[in-house]
Amino acid sequence: MATRRTDRSRAALALAAPLALVLGLALILAACGAPGEAPDGAGTDSAVLRVNGSTTVNPVVSRAAELLRAERGLEITVDTQGGSSGGLAALGEGRVEVAMSSRPVNQHDHDAYPEVDFRPVRIGVDAVALVVSRDVWEGGVHALTRDQMQAIYESRVSNWSELGGPDVPIAFFNKEPGRGTWEVFAKWLYGDPDEAPLVSHLEVGSNEEGRTKVASTAGAVTQLSFAWADGETVFPLAVDSAEGEVVAPTPETVAAGRYPISRQLLVVTDGEPTGTAAELIDYLVGPEGQKLVEKAGYLPLGDADGAVAAEEAPAS
Amino acid sequence: MSLPVAAARPAWLFTGRRRLDPIRVASLAACALAAAFLAGLVGLLAVQCLPAWRHEGVAGFLAGGRWFFRARTFGALPMIYGTVAVSAVALVLALPVGLGAALFASEVLPPRARLALKTVIELLAGVPSVVYGLLGVLLLRDWMYRLLSPFDPLSGDTLLTAGVLLAVMILPTVTTFSEDALRGVPGAQRRAARGLGLTRGTTALRVVLPQALPGLAAAALLALGRALGETIAVFLVIGRRDNQLPEGWLSAEPLLQTTRAGQTLTTKLGGSETFLAWGDPLHWAAIAGLGLVLLALVGAVTLVGAILVRKRGGDAARR
Repeated sequence: MATRRTDRSRAALALAAPLALVLGLALILAACGAPGEAPDGAGTDSAVLRVNGSTTVNPVVSRAAELLRAERGLEITVDTQGGSSGGLAALGEGRVEVAMSSRPVNQHDHDAYPEVDFRPVRIGVDAVALVVSRDVWEGGVHALTRDQMQAIYESRVSNWSELGGPDVPIAFFNKEPGRGTWEVFAKWLYGDPDEAPLVSHLEVGSNEEGRTKVASTAGAVTQLSFAWADGETVFPLAVDSAEGEVVAPTPETVAAGRYPISRQLLVVTDGEPTGTAAELIDYLVGPEGQKLVEKAGYLPLGDADGAVAAEEAPAS
Repeated sequence: MSLPVAAARPAWLFTGRRRLDPIRVASLAACALAAAFLAGLVGLLAVQCLPAWRHEGVAGFLAGGRWFFRARTFGALPMIYGTVAVSAVALVLALPVGLGAALFASEVLPPRARLALKTVIELLAGVPSVVYGLLGVLLLRDWMYRLLSPFDPLSGDTLLTAGVLLAVMILPTVTTFSEDALRGVPGAQRRAARGLGLTRGTTALRVVLPQALPGLAAAALLALGRALGETIAVFLVIGRRDNQLPEGWLSAEPLLQTTRAGQTLTTKLGGSETFLAWGDPLHWAAIAGLGLVLLALVGAVTLVGAILVRKRGGDAARR
């Protein structure tokens, strides 16, 4: 009997080890999943600053919230439910104190929440350059109009000679859908990314990939985040603005809002920000926050200062 | 106290009549765990892609030529074609070279040189695919761009580029498995053939090669399995252009199409669309469907390859 019992306990041990491993993994997974449900309960706690909105703005604000928690003990929860529109709606309904938005507050928001005093503050700018390869640039193409870019996007033109350039086929590398860069581009080109026609182009993902491929391909053009358009391997084109002038993407034109393929990175409050909200926004437009903006790959405010930008941000 | 297991206790779990073998029990548990993971994976994929099959129909999903998620159209054929085309190019290029190298190593080289060569080849087989991917972007893309210029490719990103890169990647696999297959043919056969006055070359080609055929086929299939599933190396050199199908199948078009950009199942799954799809049940189902098709392809090829390897082992044992 005694031997049998030892055998059984030994077998039990052998069985228990993998089981414990699985159980442990399950526990870890369960623990990871749990925090997702927490924000619901935070609704009644006024000491916690709640932020929600754009996934584009999120990396900057999340990092700032982390640093403020560590440095000053501020309690800030940052969420990205529903993107920019979701954030503004949550602000309108009083579910959050700060909304993050990569689009301006528009008339639709004012109509939906007439009693809310939306106060946008610009914390940075994201711009998209249309870059071409050297042969196109040296062939004389230095600018494109929106109509010409639409023709390229819809494959209605296939050779640069049709656009006043060299006799080279157009190799258009489209930024993958789902990338913020593509969204800004499509919004400029068609007013709304959802309105963009269904096309199948060569696709590129990261900025590095886009730049390398354009630099090494004849007749190439792609959308590239502004910071990557170096003017040495790839060449940023000027585009026509809403006023009809031709604007090259430079830090100045982007900061001034004259270059059209760009978007404001905004944080929005209901009325004048106070308390923790004011502290967060001050931090974001201050030197430390601006460093975070730059680190995330966006343009910092530069000359423009946060308070001025708040008034500049269009309310319609 | 009576043991309920005692009635139907599996003998292979015990070392003696009564002694449970902890190693065997533990390995049984580990096997069960692995099998459960695999079953869970397949089950999860199968359940998650149900909405796509319902939306498109099985034939519509597999044979549909258009994939536009914003228009809720999900046809996987261009990606299946891309996967097959790229793998075919890789095999066509890697097989002759790999087989030649294997013949040389097995039939010509002295044992010590053969061992050294084999070590190097097996090291090469272990090089991470991202390294090949980088080499592909740095060298192969531009080289193919120049080479293919008579066909006017839009860029160096073509199915052929991806195929050549994969060929380089699977070459060590093909070589080392082929060499194993050739070495599996007993030396007595060679000596007999040489004794009959056959030359070394004739012995290799007419005696050894035919007998190693099942093993060589297995080598090809196992390499194909790796090629089908490869993502990272292909991702940066294929162009990831959706909805590209040859204009006709019974012509040179399917071949010519390889000089243009395309998309494979893996590169689609590796792209950012997978992140977009999350949260949209139908779109996600379509993505999961691609995963299931890929799994089925790789699984089938690997299974046949493994069966052939076992068959060869069986043959050798019988001799």
